[in-house]
Amino acid sequence: MKLTLSREALLQPLQAIAGVVEKKQTMPVLSNVLLIAEDGQLTLTGTNMEVELVARVDDIAVEQPGRITVPARKLSDICRSLPEGVTITLSVDAERMKVKAGASQFTLSTLPAEHFPNVEDDAESFRLSLPQGELRHLLEATAFAMAQQDVRYYLNGLLLEVSDSLLRAVATDGHRLAMTTLPIDSGIDATRQVIVPRKGVQELLRLLDDVVTPVELVIGENHLRATVGGFTFTSKLIEGKFPDYNRVVPRGGDKTVIADRQTLKSMLQRAGILSHENIRGVRLQLEPNALHVYANNPEQEQAEDAMAVEYQGESLQIGFNVGYLIDVLNAVNDDNVRMVFSDPNASALIESGADDECVYVVMPMRL
Amino acid sequence: MQRKIIHCDADCFYAAVEMRSRPELREQPLAIGAASGRGVVTTCNYPARAYGIRSAMPMAEARQRCPQLIILPTNMTTYQSVSRDMQAIFHRFSPLVEPLSLDEAFLDVTKTTQFQGSATLIAQEIRRLVALELGITISAGVAPNKFLAKIASDWQKPDGLCVIRPDQVEAFLLPLPVAKLHGVGKVTAAKLHDLGIHTCSDLRQWSCAALMERFGRHGQRLYELSWGQDERPVVVSRPRKSMSVERTFSHNLPGRGACHERLPALAEELHQRLGRKSLDGSTPFAKLFVKLRFADFSTHTREAGWQQAGLPGEADFAPLLDYLYAEQEQRGVRLLGLGVRLSEPVRPAGQQLSLFNDQQQPLNHLRQRQPGDNADDQSNHSASHHIGGVVQSQDHPAGHDAEGEGQQD
Repeated sequence: MKLTLSREALLQPLQAIAGVVEKKQTMPVLSNVLLIAEDGQLTLTGTNMEVELVARVDDIAVEQPGRITVPARKLSDICRSLPEGVTITLSVDAERMKVKAGASQFTLSTLPAEHFPNVEDDAESFRLSLPQGELRHLLEATAFAMAQQDVRYYLNGLLLEVSDSLLRAVATDGHRLAMTTLPIDSGIDATRQVIVPRKGVQELLRLLDDVVTPVELVIGENHLRATVGGFTFTSKLIEGKFPDYNRVVPRGGDKTVIADRQTLKSMLQRAGILSHENIRGVRLQLEPNALHVYANNPEQEQAEDAMAVEYQGESLQIGFNVGYLIDVLNAVNDDNVRMVFSDPNASALIESGADDECVYVVMPMRL
Repeated sequence: MQRKIIHCDADCFYAAVEMRSRPELREQPLAIGAASGRGVVTTCNYPARAYGIRSAMPMAEARQRCPQLIILPTNMTTYQSVSRDMQAIFHRFSPLVEPLSLDEAFLDVTKTTQFQGSATLIAQEIRRLVALELGITISAGVAPNKFLAKIASDWQKPDGLCVIRPDQVEAFLLPLPVAKLHGVGKVTAAKLHDLGIHTCSDLRQWSCAALMERFGRHGQRLYELSWGQDERPVVVSRPRKSMSVERTFSHNLPGRGACHERLPALAEELHQRLGRKSLDGSTPFAKLFVKLRFADFSTHTREAGWQQAGLPGEADFAPLLDYLYAEQEQRGVRLLGLGVRLSEPVRPAGQQLSLFNDQQQPLNHLRQRQPGDNADDQSNHSASHHIGGVVQSQDHPAGHDAEGEGQQD
């Protein structure tokens, strides 16, 4: 194998792939990137067995076709540290790969391409296409609520639900839930649900730009595949039953508060400084036209703050993990938030003041 | 400033929680505890008490007294959850809540403004809320200090309220039997009776110095209590670092084998204590230890890490005992103790509630037992007598004698 290309043509796909390749690997070949050179095209593939990213670089000079794997991170670091605009030649000789750029020369170890695992092909169930920016927003507004290494493995991912007219993302860690809904015209008659693992959501987000250029999603029995520009991203799906999110979105709250999002967020961040550093509990006290917050920690240090809100109703005291509230306030894309409470042991509903595309549910804490 | 202390004590708590989910058990004698082996009654309801059944009575004896006794195993997760809800109710009235166990707590309501600061009305409201929201009854005592509040809560049990106003303290104290005082158990009571002291009024005839001469530091405490003095504050969090049980024997145990024979009873007693005291369910035990005091008064402890879930049993302590005995098979032993050291307690405040109720409580296991229907009962019958057969030390200061267990905080 021998080919020549510009540093920039190689660097962007390599950096994307280095994100997929995990630092600690059980199989040595998984820390490598698979390079396939043929027909004026270089294909780069990285995988951690759960997600796979394939990048295609077209219109390059392939002097000698071939396939090989080399350490992904080292190749990416070399490429990044070379001066801008240089031309790079990759060539395989015996079991080594040479990287040459001007006077710089590197010799990397390789492993045979045959050792590199393939994602097995999967029957397609359905596909849809939507602007990258919209999918990005859908995932960004929801992904923060995914569980992390929960024994309820189906929570360590994000539910994508597609029906005829809606694309919906739902994530929950059992304490809070985030749900975003996009109107689409999918042409799918039944409602379909898949769970994309955490890593898959995070890597997919890295590929999506805030643009209207479409992303193509192909969903199969066991995989989701997204095609964005020169990248093909594949993630395994989590088998399992996602909890019925409709059951936990509260409907009966009778205490509706409208608050300025930024003011509320700043107030909670200040108070949170003196909450218990692990438990992060704060107490909210709701009064007509005012929201008070109280925090204290085991050192008996205390914080107290208040802000004006739109609220006419009974007073209420309710405790929350302040981190959960701040996460929601970061995700809401509006000047105002609407919060609906019912009692100190029942979940709170938080939405943006303007539309109800994003819905957040946070369970309180007993303080 | 005149303090206002409330002592709240749930009535036959474990049994009450069980009867809440099985109202049909209310009229029947019910005991909670291990039905087999050396199990003892941890709690029993009032119909069972009518048969003379009491807490800490061996279950075998309880069944002899009441053959139709219904025995349910302890369901600690549920009790802890009800206890947390009960604490939450207490916290609505004061931040100064000191839990003594799952079913008991002191509240300092001196600065509470609700109900115009009336501790009596607050106590009534707490009792009403616990009954309404949790479906169990509690008894409350209201007094200017902790020891009187605790005596008062016991005065009208069950489902009662007893208030000792500051101007009633004298009238209440003078005829009060000394056995009611905190820290006066059988042994101290007997010593006091020998001196002709039966009530606080009798106790007041003695000077502080004279009481200290006979009872050591505990004498000073007796003196203060007889005059109604108890300045102990309500302490909000008192993280427990270890819990142990120990026995001093009137005749030294002759060697290692004899110590091993005592392990099961001590381990069982430790279980009872671990179950009864206010341990947060999530507090894991970090270490186990065994303590020995040999005939020459040299004291040795040996501890080892403990990572497992559940309660440690005699088999877990046996290797530590063997280690202490490594080269001294035949040394006599005055004192044997077992205990656990707890890792950093998780603060019960700040319990995150869950969106999904998928952690369902296991269904209670109802067993109605007839005497002698299980061979285990027979084979373990003699073993259960070991508990009663252990003689408590006389050289421990009074104060331990009520429970006979050491505690290292």
